Amino acid sequence: MFDFFEKSHQILGMNARILAYMRPSNSLRAIRIADNKLIAKKILKKNGLPVAQTHSIIKNIHELKNFDWTSLPNTFTLKPNRGLGGEGILIVYARRKRYPYPWIKADKKIVEIKDLESHILNILEGTYSLTNLPDIAFFEERIRLLKLFKPYSYRGIPDIRILIYNSVPIMAELRLPTKESSGKANLHLGGIGTGIDMGTGITTTAIQKDRIIEYVPGTRLPLRGIQIPEWKEILRLAIHAQQITKIGFLGIDIAIDREKGPVILELNTRPGLSIQIANMFPLNERLRRVKGLKVKTINKGVKIAQDLFGGEIEEELEEISGRKVIGINEPIEILDADKIKHQTMAKVDTGAYRTTICSSLAKELGINQAIGQKKVRSALGMEEREIISLSFYMDKRLVTSDAFIADRSEMKYDIIVGRRDLKRFLVDPAKNVFMRQPKQIK
Amino acid sequence: MSPLIQYMINQGVPQETLILLLMLPIVATIIAFSRQIIGIRGFGIYTPLIIAFAFLATGLKYGLVFFITIILVGTLTRLFIRKFRLLYLPRMAIALTAVALAILIIIHLGAYTQKTGLITSSIFAILIMITLVEKFLATQIEKGGKGAIFVTIETLILSIICYFVASWSLLQVFVLEHPFLVIFLAVVINIFLGKWTGLRLSEYFRFRKVIKDIELPKKKRLGKI
Repeated sequence: MFDFFEKSHQILGMNARILAYMRPSNSLRAIRIADNKLIAKKILKKNGLPVAQTHSIIKNIHELKNFDWTSLPNTFTLKPNRGLGGEGILIVYARRKRYPYPWIKADKKIVEIKDLESHILNILEGTYSLTNLPDIAFFEERIRLLKLFKPYSYRGIPDIRILIYNSVPIMAELRLPTKESSGKANLHLGGIGTGIDMGTGITTTAIQKDRIIEYVPGTRLPLRGIQIPEWKEILRLAIHAQQITKIGFLGIDIAIDREKGPVILELNTRPGLSIQIANMFPLNERLRRVKGLKVKTINKGVKIAQDLFGGEIEEELEEISGRKVIGINEPIEILDADKIKHQTMAKVDTGAYRTTICSSLAKELGINQAIGQKKVRSALGMEEREIISLSFYMDKRLVTSDAFIADRSEMKYDIIVGRRDLKRFLVDPAKNVFMRQPKQIK
Repeated sequence: MSPLIQYMINQGVPQETLILLLMLPIVATIIAFSRQIIGIRGFGIYTPLIIAFAFLATGLKYGLVFFITIILVGTLTRLFIRKFRLLYLPRMAIALTAVALAILIIIHLGAYTQKTGLITSSIFAILIMITLVEKFLATQIEKGGKGAIFVTIETLILSIICYFVASWSLLQVFVLEHPFLVIFLAVVINIFLGKWTGLRLSEYFRFRKVIKDIELPKKKRLGKI
């Protein structure tokens, strides 16, 4: 129980979000930009960032009366400028070819001009705006759903929420629209949130209404393991947008258009905290690690995020398989005759069956008593090698083994670990840790 | 009794007025506490506070009758007139009219059954509760039915707690004796609440799974061998 409270300090709660991050990092000017979709789009567009194209803007009832409805395309999105949490957004997908040429919504309901008029009136009145103040309505191009996301989304566009602080993406989440959320990607309306591994852009845990789920509701389609396309580009966009808008603590929503690729949808100065549940990871520690860093370039920010916060996939793999993931070069600790640990670097060699240790090292550690011999065929012909018993720790696991001794004084590594001793590990050749470290024995 | 309070009462200031004024900081602090420490979402500070004071004026029994009638009639009216696609303010005006009619019927029933407590209820308290209809309906539009019901119930519970605190006779005597202590404490406690960055009680529950999953950096990880 005591442990529970100690651990809970890692969670970022509402109070700390406001006092420690939103207030100090987000100036009034920054909040005004984020809360005003049109201004945010204008600023981002000016700096060459991809945003959804605005078709037309309706500022007041007068403009609505004189609006040229024929100027609208067959598919578009109608949004309130200061909408909150996805409210008041109307999306049409196509248009009937017969009089009165109504548009069609995702649920096949038809939308006529009079429906649009009344919806716009509601927007102008401020029904959907943050403070119920009069608002502006605008038509925007509709983002086209990526094929990859089609089976996962119900009648809407999924987006990727990236929480970014001090030019470093802290945590990310894929938000999927569901039937419950009536096709909106907002979590508080019942959308699905899926954590994303920062390093690889692959989804991890999924939640709906703060509860963990495994599959897309009503199907056997796992939510885990979806690879987000153009992941690095998405991270780069998020950092770039933060640097332009100077919103220090920012939740940015990015959608992926079928043709245009990543498009910035929305900036958010009050990002939701359930991203911590979707990632099964608390925010506080990550935020603290990034605080005060001087991140000069966008690529640097991407790299920091991927290096610091990636790797959840690996841990998960370890949990599922019960095996540790190791690289090609691993630091190991060999136990000598007196069971004292000696650190050295080993090469993991899945091409070899048995582990081989350098004879001089074995002698030095006093473990060179042969317990057997075996003939081996190598590129140099037949050779008889002595076998010794060897114990070592690799990635904190004790491995007891019978190993060959051979003269490896000309080789880079004193020891190679073969298949026989790798049964409890998974080898990831991309996890290449210390290439240049000199071989050493302490 | 504090000399200042004594003087005012002697000059004819109603004791009720002084008690309500001095209860205000206490009730406000309770509401702030329940938001920052417990995590009750509620409708800001105004709504639960005004409902609590309205209950004080009407009595809890009739207050609840009025409250539930207002919410029910307001919601039903909203659902009924939704199809007509009216603009926001006229829509609200119609909802208010329906609520006023419902209250009129209740008072009529009260008169008919000669419930004096009901028919002599302070009309201002009832009016204030009626005007809250706008808040509740706006929340329904914003959060959807389920969310609105939840927030409404939370607000109601908070208001009832505040009502009991404010009508607690021992506390009433206390505030009249130490009016400045009450004000001083309210300010100090709220400064503390305003600087509080810890988790809210509701967040311990909300994030319980994540918290269980956290590994403390100091302790060594137990490998599964």
